[in-house]
Amino acid sequence: MPETRTITLRINGREEEGRFPAHRTLLEALRHLGHMEVKCGCEKGDCGACAVLLDGMAVDSCLTLAWMAAGKEITTVSGLGDLDAPHPLQKAFADGGAAQCGYCIPGIIIAAKAIIDEHPEPSEDDIRLGLSGNLCRCTGYTKIFEAIADAADDMRAEGGAP
Amino acid sequence: MTHTDMDPGTLANVQFRQVGKPLTRTDAPGKVTGRTPYAGDYVMPNMLHMRVLRADIASARLVRLDVSKARALTGVACVLTADDLADRTAATDIPGQTGQKRLDTDQPILVRDRVRYFGEPLALIAAETRDIADHAAELIEFELEPIPGVYDTLEALKPGAPLVYGRDNIVAERKIRKGDVEAGFARADLIVENTYRTPFQEHAFLEPEVGLAWVDENDVVNIRVSTQVIEHFRPIADALGVPHNKVRVRGALVGGGFGGKEDLTVEVYLALLAKQTGRPVRLEYSREDSFVGHGKRHPFILTYRTGVTKEGKITALDVNMIADAGAYVFLSPYVILYALVAAPGPYRVDNLNVFAKAVATNNMYTSAFRGFGALQACAAYEQQMDEIANTLSIDRLKLRRRNFLKTGEPMSTGFVPPSAIWTEQCAEKAWAGLGEPTASDGPIRTGRGLACYQQSYGRLTFLHDTSEAWVGVEMDGTVVVRSGVTDIGAGQISALGQIAVEVLGVTLDNVVIYNSDSAVTPLAGTTTATRALYMTGNAAKQAAEGLRARLAERAAQEFGVTPDEIDMAFNEVFVIDRPEKTMPLVDLVRTCAAEGIHRSELAIFRAPFGDFLDPETGQGQAHPDYAYGAHAVEVSVDVETGEVEVLKSVAAHDVGQCINPAAVEGQIQGGAQNGQGYALSEEMLYEEGRLVTPSFSEYLMPTAMDMPNVECIILESRSGVGPFGAKGIGEPAMTAVAPAIANAVADAIGVRVFEMPITPERVVTALQQRDAS
Amino acid sequence: MYAPFELDIPTTLDGALAALANGGGETVLPIAGGTNLIVDIRAKRERPDRMVGLGEVDELLGMEFGPERISIGGRTTVSDLLRSPEIAHEAPSLIEAARLFGGLMVRNTGTVAGNIASGSPAADLVPPLLTLDAELTLASASATRTLALDDYYLGYKQDARRPDELITRISWPRLPENSANTFYKLARRKGDAITVTGVAVTLSVADGTCSRARIALASVAPVVRRVKEAEAVLEGQALTPALIDEAAEAAASTCTPIDDIRASAGYRRHTVEALTRRLVTQAWDRLA
Repeated sequence: MPETRTITLRINGREEEGRFPAHRTLLEALRHLGHMEVKCGCEKGDCGACAVLLDGMAVDSCLTLAWMAAGKEITTVSGLGDLDAPHPLQKAFADGGAAQCGYCIPGIIIAAKAIIDEHPEPSEDDIRLGLSGNLCRCTGYTKIFEAIADAADDMRAEGGAP
Repeated sequence: MTHTDMDPGTLANVQFRQVGKPLTRTDAPGKVTGRTPYAGDYVMPNMLHMRVLRADIASARLVRLDVSKARALTGVACVLTADDLADRTAATDIPGQTGQKRLDTDQPILVRDRVRYFGEPLALIAAETRDIADHAAELIEFELEPIPGVYDTLEALKPGAPLVYGRDNIVAERKIRKGDVEAGFARADLIVENTYRTPFQEHAFLEPEVGLAWVDENDVVNIRVSTQVIEHFRPIADALGVPHNKVRVRGALVGGGFGGKEDLTVEVYLALLAKQTGRPVRLEYSREDSFVGHGKRHPFILTYRTGVTKEGKITALDVNMIADAGAYVFLSPYVILYALVAAPGPYRVDNLNVFAKAVATNNMYTSAFRGFGALQACAAYEQQMDEIANTLSIDRLKLRRRNFLKTGEPMSTGFVPPSAIWTEQCAEKAWAGLGEPTASDGPIRTGRGLACYQQSYGRLTFLHDTSEAWVGVEMDGTVVVRSGVTDIGAGQISALGQIAVEVLGVTLDNVVIYNSDSAVTPLAGTTTATRALYMTGNAAKQAAEGLRARLAERAAQEFGVTPDEIDMAFNEVFVIDRPEKTMPLVDLVRTCAAEGIHRSELAIFRAPFGDFLDPETGQGQAHPDYAYGAHAVEVSVDVETGEVEVLKSVAAHDVGQCINPAAVEGQIQGGAQNGQGYALSEEMLYEEGRLVTPSFSEYLMPTAMDMPNVECIILESRSGVGPFGAKGIGEPAMTAVAPAIANAVADAIGVRVFEMPITPERVVTALQQRDAS
Repeated sequence: MYAPFELDIPTTLDGALAALANGGGETVLPIAGGTNLIVDIRAKRERPDRMVGLGEVDELLGMEFGPERISIGGRTTVSDLLRSPEIAHEAPSLIEAARLFGGLMVRNTGTVAGNIASGSPAADLVPPLLTLDAELTLASASATRTLALDDYYLGYKQDARRPDELITRISWPRLPENSANTFYKLARRKGDAITVTGVAVTLSVADGTCSRARIALASVAPVVRRVKEAEAVLEGQALTPALIDEAAEAAASTCTPIDDIRASAGYRRHTVEALTRRLVTQAWDRLA
């Protein structure tokens, strides 16, 4: 059996320890630690369901080795907001009917966060290009585009929520 | 929305407080914050991890299967092969169906001696970790001796073709014989004949098949699983050889279904290993497993021969359909029945012959997929309408107008749909919705296409479909709904909530819906066949109305009026037009509780029960009712590279009555995407039955870069047989999309690609063939 | 994912090169973005004994825009390219390729060196870099060398990089005045798709003639390659439709595509011709 190592992952602002072998992906490690909001859709970087922010940058956690994420700030969709205090993106997605089956949504909201961080006033092209690695089979994307644009508007109006 | 087509009664000043509003769905907040557990998010202590080992060629004899090394690996709890199973099979059968499946076509749980398709399961492994299960799979040795297979339906029908099973490769045949087709053709000024081909399609739900099973203290096998059908507890119990009440299926919110989680997926494997090991077991398919682990959309070859007058009136139609059923029989006999019934589309055709056949091959088995045969028929009949229009040089919409089936007229089976038929209104609105045409520019040519459809909602009437729902009001005035319905993402349970609170006069945040548990929620039937809103919605409405009637009766007594003078809204109970006579709902509920008045209601809704269609003529009632609508698109085609871009996509559907317009739009937009992929980019390629496009980097569904913003035009005839006059939109949303795109491409380049998907290469080939001729 | 391997995570280039040098009979692979390698390992196309993670080696980062040359570190990601206005100005073809490269997450982690080293015939960044006359710096624990990208590929999935070497930098000369630099990716869908036919064109015009022509093709040969036969038709000439046709035909007849799940060889040849003609014509029309 290969060597395992105890690593510390900083997830949604909290440090969590886990013991993993080198080949364990960040997706597997996060789910092992109970972060079930990170979804597995393809395990090869085609669908984006497992996207998380790593030091603010959206990555596919299925293509990231857990050891290499140690010491970095990991943000999942649950780290953006919760039922009581949803992030503007989460609110816009829920109210705009952008989530149907919802399985792709944790990854899509992470990608959307990255899009808005880089383009506070995103163009349609910014949104489409930013989502091209996130597959959704239910929505046709139209309401997702609208929700991201709405959230960006809200965030600018509120003077730049995080 | 008003229209002269309507019975004025249905338009009578209907005022909804909750229904028809784009409310935030009850399931949305949990999904967007990551709080919602899907079936794969449940774990248990001491849980084992499963993996399925599969055959890597499509037609073979299993000569040797040696699992001894895998069993010896530390951490492996159990390896099962066919030798370890009792001689039982498992396959989906529709409850109540009447022997539509041929003998000996059920798929064995595990391969005994014969492999019939690529990916057929050979062995089940349960181990302490996924790593160990994966390692164990590598240690299993097996030898497959290839047997000549058959991978094409036309080949499979030839004498001497390799047999998939049984005496021939014909799985099922259906026909319609109506009017006098020969006389009709004799009256025609023109006969147009074409053959259209439609492809396999993968459901590509984002959540692969997954489940967790354990045996509880009552020896009941519990299975938490991503499924459209919790009623599978029955075939699971049959496969295990245990009583039906010893299997409990608990669903979860489903990460996409589209028909792909309608048949059994992982349930039997989980149940077997949970029984065998006595420990909880979890099985999650990889994406590659998912591609070979559930049935696909049937590819069809459809030959349409249409007789028309020079004015464009159809005088006769003769249709021949051949569907690829793949290696085992799942729902193919029903899929071709849907295709048969849908063959003429939303058009009046009095002289009609249709013949539909499902054929076994060694390809992946095929089964349910959004549109269920009727969609494949639409792909052909709507392309055929454009071909007729072009041949006659008649405007395409005008040709359709001449032939549309009208409200009150008999359809292909002689049945008169009970609801309004608004195809024409939908077609006009969708077509107009395209707006100003986009100009062609050099090698980039633009074109437009329209397609109309007829799609059933509700299951086949000979299945005698029923649905139960329970609605209760708590002591504090909050509402609980219980329904076995599975929610596959369309907002099925939220709609039940919206219906219940409309009737009971509370707000949606005051309702909780429990669903999808075969043991404790009233069985509501499957989430398939665009039946969930129709069936479970009616059941929930009936239950809520029963409860309301009792509450209103008690309130009437309190206020000294008759019950029909009572209304309930915004958590208040009051006398209509008497603002002083009002009380909080909670007070009324407490009074009822104190007096022992029943504060809940269990209702059953029964769809119309029918007999099977006449086997010789195909006449009779197949479905409860039908939905109608249209889809229009504008495309650009690069005539040098063959690339197609969808520039505009406009849908117009008569949904009867929206329960939640945002959810309806979501269905329409998703259907537009699903149909666009089917028309243009999604392709399952097999080499000798071996799938060579097994993941999302080869199987290409439309991305955010590929989809236009889809415009939705929603018409409400309030004429449907669902709650408040609703029809259905789940399947209808997709049905007409692909032919609309095909027609637009043909319009852009002046030549038709008769086979989907319309790949860039097929476009270039069609142009080259035209230039050569 | 089950794939037992060891993993080193060095923090310096020397450390990384030392780790690569100490293979001893084992298969040691460097990993940066992992967007190809993790996929290949999961599919068991690669079975490394040990991996050397480059994520902490900052010496592999950084873009330099000198008066003569542009140089970028091997770990430069596809997104880094897209965020650089200088790259947008100096190498628009690279931006076009980067835009349509995978999805956002893959662009954020996939690196330029990784795309080159993958050896994929469909590597999208390579045609633009070939038409820019890019040069690679290859370093090992014992030596550093430079190599023209044009000389890097030896055959299908075979390249000139020794197992103990890393592509540390990629550089190319600034384009002369009056140059056009374009890339067209033909794929089966717009977003995140493997290229069916990729064509990059760099044209420079001086004194009314085409002073320099570079045409490189993806997915139509065992490796991404230039079509020098087509370039030769154009260089030194005032371009005419007939000349451009000749170059396009040369490109189509020189490439060696195969049939695969995405397209047939015949279709690829057809599109090489059409796209070469289109891109060269557009470039010439803009410059001349």
